[in-house]
Amino acid sequence: MPLGALGWLGIGIIVLIIIIIFSYFNRFAILGNRIDNSLGQIDVQLKRRADLIPNLVETVKGYAKHEKSTIKEVTDARKALVGASGLTERVKAGDRLQSALGRLFAIAENYPNLKANENFLELQRELTSTEDKISYARQFYNDSILSYNNLCKTFPGVIFAGIFGKKPREYLQITEAERKAVRVKFE
Amino acid sequence: MPDKYQRIDFRDAIAKNKWKSFFLMFMIFCVIIALGYVIGKAWGALDIFSILIIAIIISISYLLITYYNSDKIALFSVNAREAKREDYKLYYDVVEGITIASGLPMPKLYVMPSEQINAFASGRDPKHSVVCVTKGALEKLDRRELEGVVAHELGHIGSYDIRYMTLVAVMVGIISIISEIFLRSLWFRGGGGNSRENRGNAIFVVIGVILAILAPILVFFVQMAISRKREFSADASAVKFTRYPPGLIGALEKIKYQNVPDKKVTKAVAPLFFANPFKEIGSTHPSIEKRIELLKRM
Repeated sequence: MPLGALGWLGIGIIVLIIIIIFSYFNRFAILGNRIDNSLGQIDVQLKRRADLIPNLVETVKGYAKHEKSTIKEVTDARKALVGASGLTERVKAGDRLQSALGRLFAIAENYPNLKANENFLELQRELTSTEDKISYARQFYNDSILSYNNLCKTFPGVIFAGIFGKKPREYLQITEAERKAVRVKFE
Repeated sequence: MPDKYQRIDFRDAIAKNKWKSFFLMFMIFCVIIALGYVIGKAWGALDIFSILIIAIIISISYLLITYYNSDKIALFSVNAREAKREDYKLYYDVVEGITIASGLPMPKLYVMPSEQINAFASGRDPKHSVVCVTKGALEKLDRRELEGVVAHELGHIGSYDIRYMTLVAVMVGIISIISEIFLRSLWFRGGGGNSRENRGNAIFVVIGVILAILAPILVFFVQMAISRKREFSADASAVKFTRYPPGLIGALEKIKYQNVPDKKVTKAVAPLFFANPFKEIGSTHPSIEKRIELLKRM
């Protein structure tokens, strides 16, 4: 049976709808994957920092034995980070470690020999870099969530979000001011 | 979240750059064939058909070679060396940070021997990209400033500016070489016999000379127009990656007060750079003052 003009039009519309559904499905998948990947990146950097701590503590102990409370705080914060489960908790533990490290580096200013130690300088540089990467990874995580949520909340994405059962996700809470202050302190 | 945290969206820029790159390559293809034809005629070649075939083969192989090797050509022309991680830890750290912030793959890193503060990015797409900074930049810029410069270059990479800009640079190079060869070849042919054939070719010689002079000038203007706008948008992406305009501003200010013109850089690769290597009016880059002013408003 030959198709009339209306028949062709119908087929065209159906094909168009299928293409649109597929492209939205893919966009949700791509943006969702991006969020998961950036989450992985935060973890990689947090772990990297945790790995650097024991070495740092050993070096500091060699020059500044008496700063027991500060050293202990760093070791404890590291333990808390390694043991933490769930993103929010890990990020919180990371923040605690970061401020403990800030105090440790401030104290190091009083020990010229420690400050001149090659190993210490290297560790300090690496920790600063890791710190940067953590904050960039968080930024990227939040950016990825923003794109995802925009897709979920704006028309016509909101319709497909309903069909596919996608819901807006939660941002990581970090204040911008806090981050910049720490970045300066490390330098 | 406020608007400025909107993730930078390269999609429009990417599509535009891919299309422009294709168009440019097609134009170059035509120009080389036209040049081949005119030069062939001017030389009084009898078999114009085989000249055209040779021209087509040359232009296709030339386009393929530049498309896949433009980054290497650019790096070679500035005498850049691959940067090893052991020797350039800060450089690697900074680039890694920005790749995390931007979600772009890690480019290959190079260093070029120049006391100037400068940098460029090249490659055909983000997966095959390179970033090259000068020795001067690594020595004179602090961490945040270097980060600003690197973020600017990754902005070019993310938007596929690198493909288009490097193609333009390499094309400009070849067109000026071809026209130079042609102009010089005329000297050797001048004052030949006075046969009829020679007179018939005179018109083609004139056309050839005009083409040979016009082509590089034309390409130069195209090049200028394209690279100014790109610098501003790469600055904007740099700020979106680092969220820290003072870094980039600091780098630009150091360039403004410390850079001296670098004569070793060939003109063809100038538009690739972070800042204009020559300090000339009507150059390939917007003025540093203008860039700083816009960054301060962000």
